[in-house]
Amino acid sequence: MQFCRAHSLDEALELLGQWGGDGCLLAGGTDVMVQYNSGAITPGAFIHIEGIEPLSAISINGRTTLGALNTHAKLAADGDIASRHPAVARAARLVGGWQTQTVGTVGGNLCNGSPAADLAPPLLIADAHVTLTSLNGERRLPLDDFFIDRRATARRPDELLTLIDLDPVPPRGGEHYVKLGRRGAMDVAIVGLAARLGLGDDGNIAFARVAVCSVTATPRRIREVEAALVGVPLEAGAFAAAGQALVAAVSPIDDARATASYRRRVLPGLLERAVLRCGEDIRP
Amino acid sequence: MTAVGTSVVRSDGEAKVRGDAIFGVDLAVHGMLHARLLRAPVPAGFIRRIDTSRAAASPGVHDVVTGADVRNDRTGIVVSDSPLFAADYITYEGEPIAAVVADTPELAEAAIRKIELEIDETAPVATPEQALSPGSRLVHPAWAEFDIAGGAEFARGGNIAAEILSDPGDIDAAFAGADHVVEDSYRAPRQYQAYLEPKMALATYEAGRYTIQVSHQYPFRIRDRLAQVLDVPKSAIRVVGHHIGGGFGAKLDLGLEPYAAVLARRTGRPIKMVNTASEERLTAPCRDNATVKIRSAVGRDGTILAQDVDVVYDSGAYANNGPALVSIPMFMYGSIYRVGTVRIRSRMAYTNTAPTGAFRGVSGPYLVFAAERHMDHIANELGRDRREYRLASLAADGHKMRNGQALEQLSILREAFDLVEEHVPWAGSGQGQQSNGKLRGIGIAAAVWLTNPAPGQATVKLNEDGTLTVVTAATDSGSGAVFTGLRQIAAECLGLAADQVTITMPDTDVAGFDAGSQGSRTTHVAGRAVLDATTEVRKRVLEKAASMLEAASEDLVIEDGDIHVAGVPDMRVSISQVAMAATFGQGPIVGTGSYTTPPPPHDPACTTGMLFSTWPTPTYHVHYAEVEVDPVTGQVSVERYVIAQEVGRAINPDAIMGQVQGGVAQGLGYALWERMDIEDARYVQRNFETHGLPLACDMPEVEAILMEHPEAAGPYGAKGAAEPPIVPVAAVIANAVSDAIGAPIDTIPITPEAVLEALER
Amino acid sequence: MTDDQSVPVRFTVNGREQELQVGAGETLLRTLRDRLYLTGAKEGCLEGECGACTVLVDGAPVDSCILATAAMEGREVRTVEGLSQVDQISPLQQAFLDHAAVQCGFCIPGILMTLTALLERQPSPTREGIETALAGNICRCTGYRQIVEAAMAVAAEETS
Repeated sequence: MQFCRAHSLDEALELLGQWGGDGCLLAGGTDVMVQYNSGAITPGAFIHIEGIEPLSAISINGRTTLGALNTHAKLAADGDIASRHPAVARAARLVGGWQTQTVGTVGGNLCNGSPAADLAPPLLIADAHVTLTSLNGERRLPLDDFFIDRRATARRPDELLTLIDLDPVPPRGGEHYVKLGRRGAMDVAIVGLAARLGLGDDGNIAFARVAVCSVTATPRRIREVEAALVGVPLEAGAFAAAGQALVAAVSPIDDARATASYRRRVLPGLLERAVLRCGEDIRP
Repeated sequence: MTAVGTSVVRSDGEAKVRGDAIFGVDLAVHGMLHARLLRAPVPAGFIRRIDTSRAAASPGVHDVVTGADVRNDRTGIVVSDSPLFAADYITYEGEPIAAVVADTPELAEAAIRKIELEIDETAPVATPEQALSPGSRLVHPAWAEFDIAGGAEFARGGNIAAEILSDPGDIDAAFAGADHVVEDSYRAPRQYQAYLEPKMALATYEAGRYTIQVSHQYPFRIRDRLAQVLDVPKSAIRVVGHHIGGGFGAKLDLGLEPYAAVLARRTGRPIKMVNTASEERLTAPCRDNATVKIRSAVGRDGTILAQDVDVVYDSGAYANNGPALVSIPMFMYGSIYRVGTVRIRSRMAYTNTAPTGAFRGVSGPYLVFAAERHMDHIANELGRDRREYRLASLAADGHKMRNGQALEQLSILREAFDLVEEHVPWAGSGQGQQSNGKLRGIGIAAAVWLTNPAPGQATVKLNEDGTLTVVTAATDSGSGAVFTGLRQIAAECLGLAADQVTITMPDTDVAGFDAGSQGSRTTHVAGRAVLDATTEVRKRVLEKAASMLEAASEDLVIEDGDIHVAGVPDMRVSISQVAMAATFGQGPIVGTGSYTTPPPPHDPACTTGMLFSTWPTPTYHVHYAEVEVDPVTGQVSVERYVIAQEVGRAINPDAIMGQVQGGVAQGLGYALWERMDIEDARYVQRNFETHGLPLACDMPEVEAILMEHPEAAGPYGAKGAAEPPIVPVAAVIANAVSDAIGAPIDTIPITPEAVLEALER
Repeated sequence: MTDDQSVPVRFTVNGREQELQVGAGETLLRTLRDRLYLTGAKEGCLEGECGACTVLVDGAPVDSCILATAAMEGREVRTVEGLSQVDQISPLQQAFLDHAAVQCGFCIPGILMTLTALLERQPSPTREGIETALAGNICRCTGYRQIVEAAMAVAAEETS
């Protein structure tokens, strides 16, 4: 195996073009190195992209644009992310432990295609789009379309996920990410659920976005629930229909962490928790 | 007292915080090679073909062996059922089939992948229930031909690796006359010890002798087991111990040592082997999964007239020490509470899963879980308060356990209940829903536990600078029993500070036999040997000082490294002066001590098949917990945890608190988070993340009350303290959760899913 | 892993410049232990779950078992061996001894590095802050309490 250092985006794209599927992008390495150590992957080359500075930037221009190499630690600590994307900041704090947050990147979290990607639900509720760049140019697509199946994304072997752009939480809006694990930290989510709400003048929910991870084969938005939340007053016990819509919209996975029926049981309660918590953040 | 009873700093502490301490995995010697094992990829099957030629030709490979190339006789601690390599049939996933020696671990691993293996997979015997069902396939068809390694034959046969039955013959009559019959069935999973340092071995062979360097809890066990496996005299083996990165019972039997030894002899080179984390998880001798059925006949006044207990536990593919452990239910039922009569059947079944083994408090956590859940059930059935019912049922001093052994100090348990009550008054049951939406519950549980009696020896040398060196093969797998406890005991005896005592690392060529760090025995048994040895040194020091001071030795006082005549402080001589004078006068002053706890009086006729017949040096324990249950997710958080633990005498209070906190953490993991599920004879959870060990943020502060009732035979009164903190934890947590949700939880771990299901019932 | 390209890399370890040729997929943990003989960091899981291999890179804790050494070009690595001097251990190390925070000790080098990073950022963290920081460090022996108390004691000294 070779180790190729990309010092710029152009170099990275050259290397990707050269190696194609046999080149393995290496940023923080928290997934790649585990797979490499165990022999699960045997790439021809690591293409090390961690040092491409522009991809670690956060820029704000109406929408927020994140370079794909922003680490979880940075997203958790950044002031703009905290105010504009509190659910993203919270999810970043809940990914693994400090050691993996230090090096793990948002691009890596999305590109490895895990159903449990913690950052995905808060990005999905912010209408995130991803930019995929190759020697042939770039394309931008909704994050919802980026996830294809378990461990499968729309990224082609010669493409690099470079940017993620997203909407900030609106005025009179709030958002929250609820992560259910077995322990207080370190767990891959049993269920992750992000909700973003905006209130109308009547105090009822005027718009809603809900997304989940670790429930279906890919993280995804659940539009059926969003519809069911609109017009509902923001008070405990008002979300039964939305909860039912959530359970009806998904057929949860069964894995070593929990059964499908457990996931089905907890979803309505977690939805209510996330929605009410959104409400607490909405300034009157 | 100056050294004993104070929290002195452990002697290995500074090396460990500096990162300088040498653990087994850190060892390297010149010219060493590395070996890896090919492990069975399936739980059961026949090996049809194995071809190692491609592996042998792989780069950097020095040797490849299978069961056909080495002595592969079956051996074992109690029954000789375990071969070195699976040669004809495979009995569990992960069983060694072949070994490769190469220049590096990576080259060895690459060669392992080139071994061609053809297996006819057979349906595994996956569970004890399946193993014991009529007509089940036998895990070991040739079981009847296995030798009994330990001497006496015991009850076994087919898939039953060992069995005891204690039947007083009168329980059916008691049930016929009962006002209430309360019946339960409890299930407990495996628990992985999850020490962080994987098992390792570094072997060399020189002039007919093997030297094995390890990080192991019981070096003499390696010596003795290797002698069996290699068919050589015990004296042909030297085992040298290094710092141990956790063991908790998993490093008490053979691991990689015999492979490294065989390969060192074959290649003429030192061989180092280290398991990967996934090999550890696949093959560690986990705490056995078990089912406990209890049926009680109860009178109107709450008297338990009779109990019928049936325990089935999973031995996995081999028996290990298990045939001794089937006896433990004899000490857990009818022991602390008055029960008219008890029938106990306890069986251990062979299955096609990794062999189970010792984990802190062997069998105790699930036996007490069953016993104390059942006490809650009876109390609820009678409409009695759960704590009050326990107090009313407590037996008195002198109460005899099922083996006929009397618990002379059982009233310590009442004291423990009282101390917990003073600390946190019992609020009854049914705390209900709190303002935060959580359901709150409380639980209480009691237990008696033992101090392992197995022998130990110590040699104590007086150095010419007036300090002591303790030579012992006692091992410290982390508790501090050696690195503080034994040093404090020696120091106290000679009036020194603990840091004036040096203690050796274990070496079977140098030190006398010691039964290793197991069963909380080190402070009590090895400590007594150290005390006896130091007492001999003290006697000779005083005799020599008496002649130097021209005084009678009984008039002398030892204080701060000096000896003076009582009441005449000017007539003094230092211990180092005495040591010098003795060394170059009569010869160096050395003392020796040997100890094993004598078996307490008991009735050997109480049962059949009992290899472990008494419960020496018992200690007493009451645990209390408050939990909150999240009704949305089923998750349990432990809000408060209080224990009263009897320790005889606390030699080092901080070290005991470390055992308490650590033991409760492991117990909470067992009760709530850790998973080692088995499906089709394979482990489901295969890494740390899915396994779910407790983290810092999961742990409540354990509030511990230590009770001291010095034991005459123990050094300065000390009894065992390290194992018991794990024993009642699952019981007290299950009792508290059941109280919180108003429904019984009779299976551990208490998964959020099980909690929600119980809530919905 | 065995036919990896050899890659040149320069970085500092405990303040000392290192110029090495390492395997393309070689982990930092392997390099520290087998090439530089810094065996304080331990391998507990090789998958970034247990934290026994924790070292600091540019002042932040990382799992060195899942970090490629070749990626360390120009970085600054600190290990447990760098916390103490020949005749003096750090206040945090001393607190671990005073609070009986060490049992088997296998996890301790990693835990010390995580807590060192925490205390450098936040001289007086809360108990909860310490517990959260330690989420990526498993200790099977102690139940964590004495470890957290040792860190609290150093924090208290800092503020007093």
